[in-house]
Amino acid sequence: MQMTTRRLLPAARAIRSSRWRATQLGLLFISPWAIGFCLFYLYPFFATLYYSFTRFTGIGNPVFTGLANYSGLLHDATFRTALFNTFYYTVIEVPLSTVVALGLALLLNMNVRGQAFYRTLFYIPSIVPVVASSLIFVWIFQPSFGIVNSLLSDVHVNGPAWFFSITWSKPTFILLGLWGLGQPMVIYLAALQGVPKEMYEVAALEGAGPWQRLRKVTIPMISPIILFNVILSLVLSIQYFTQAQVIEAPPGSPGSSTMFYVTYYYQQAFTDLHLGYASAMAFLLFILVLIITVVLLRTSRRWVYYENEQR
Amino acid sequence: MQTVSPQASPATETPSRRRTAPRPLRAVRKLGASLGKHTVLLLLSAMFALPLIWMVGTSFKTAPQALAFPVVWWPHPFVWSNYPNLFAALPYFRFFWNTFLYAAITIVGVCVSSSLVAYGFSRLRWPGRDAVFYVMLMTMILPFVCTLIPLFVMYKRFGWIGGYLPLEVPTFFGSSVFSTFLLRQFFMTIPQSLSEAARIDGASEFWIYLRVILPLAKPAMATVILFQFIYCWNDYLGPLVYISNQNSYPLSLGLTLILGDYSTNWAWVMAGATAAAAPIVILFFFTQRTFIQGITLTGTKG
Repeated sequence: MQMTTRRLLPAARAIRSSRWRATQLGLLFISPWAIGFCLFYLYPFFATLYYSFTRFTGIGNPVFTGLANYSGLLHDATFRTALFNTFYYTVIEVPLSTVVALGLALLLNMNVRGQAFYRTLFYIPSIVPVVASSLIFVWIFQPSFGIVNSLLSDVHVNGPAWFFSITWSKPTFILLGLWGLGQPMVIYLAALQGVPKEMYEVAALEGAGPWQRLRKVTIPMISPIILFNVILSLVLSIQYFTQAQVIEAPPGSPGSSTMFYVTYYYQQAFTDLHLGYASAMAFLLFILVLIITVVLLRTSRRWVYYENEQR
Repeated sequence: MQTVSPQASPATETPSRRRTAPRPLRAVRKLGASLGKHTVLLLLSAMFALPLIWMVGTSFKTAPQALAFPVVWWPHPFVWSNYPNLFAALPYFRFFWNTFLYAAITIVGVCVSSSLVAYGFSRLRWPGRDAVFYVMLMTMILPFVCTLIPLFVMYKRFGWIGGYLPLEVPTFFGSSVFSTFLLRQFFMTIPQSLSEAARIDGASEFWIYLRVILPLAKPAMATVILFQFIYCWNDYLGPLVYISNQNSYPLSLGLTLILGDYSTNWAWVMAGATAAAAPIVILFFFTQRTFIQGITLTGTKG
């Protein structure tokens, strides 16, 4: 008995020490990220949480005020508007861009001649710098000289003021978003090309029409990629800011129809220097994103199909 | 019976008729379908291309022509002067240079740190590796506002506000999760036997990283460089928060100046937009393959 343990020990020690060495090496290689994670994510995240319970202007020390910022948000009408506007944009933009990007990808996947040409054309708008594309859209949707209203007047339609109309400002931002959906489209196209041809042949043999093939073969096969893109575009839509900031002067106008969540956050933080209040908004946004992601991932078990799943 | 059936059940009749249709008719139908597809695609193409065509077109018009209603489709007279005039009025080349420097420095940061971190997440086995990797991926969905204020306060204490350091330093600490993810995906595809052979020869892990893996990862590195360049070129939010002096503006912020100062002269505004968009679009044409590869590598294997 003693003999065996004594004989095993060096081997066990060697295994343990080699595992320890591997861990050390692994940690050494990821250390740049680990340091960055603590310094640029972990610390500021908890600091934001702390600031959200304080009154803080950036000068001097934060003054602890308990839940004052959160109860302030509850009674803040502009905050409710910002929440509503962001919700409006997200609820329309995310499904619409998903359907359009997927639709374009399906269209391009139908063995059309010049596929590469069309793909390039649909993709280019998404790499145009955001500021440039915002300027372009202000110009083409200009109420009195813009090309869109000029074309509309050709068919005797009186175009709205688009970015400068309270009712039309958000839909115009949605159009701007749709113009730049090249990235998900390219991802969907690649995913579609990865669906095995035999699956369609089998489905066709069993008498499935094009619609059924789409619903029973294509969509399940690419559902993990749809989930990935939907989560990504949800998280981005909720943080919608740049285009609105470039286009609307003053930010949030006309009325407060383009006062998005982050627009209001930015105003509170960097214009009014209500850093504690803004931190409370930031933390609530985190909770919102977390809930949406968790709900999506949980419900996704029902509609996302994983090929290599071992359950 | 035979004479009644065509009228009685037209629904079941159509497919069989289609199957037995003579050749020329089938060809016509196929042509029709293809024509339909191309009509839809061409219409969509026009919608996607119109804003860009209109941007370039306007940039060659005179100011009054840009405002003509009904619109003038083709610039007449065709004027080049908007570009030199704009470059003279705004320090455009300064903006270009600032953007370029910002991109170059962060590219170095991303290439060094992301490749090291990706190596640790893919070529080495250690307990808890995948859990830590998921933590890293999770930071991708953390809204940027959740860290912004403390970072601003911290950088202010360092004396970094007003310059590019707040945007450059984090890239040396693996802040580009996207690049790390892309490189890790690529490193995973390299056979483990290569590393093992080198280990048997007594090579250190760093040597393997530097001399075996990195040379093989050139295409993935090219994608990372390209995406980082475009990220910097387009970045508006970072500079908006940290850069205050107009002389240090990158192109994205510089562009917004034209809208403020010359918003009556749309030909100038569009010349500015064209000057900002053209380099990226041209770059895209030369690097299309790298581009599409990069997007599909991250998108389909996520």
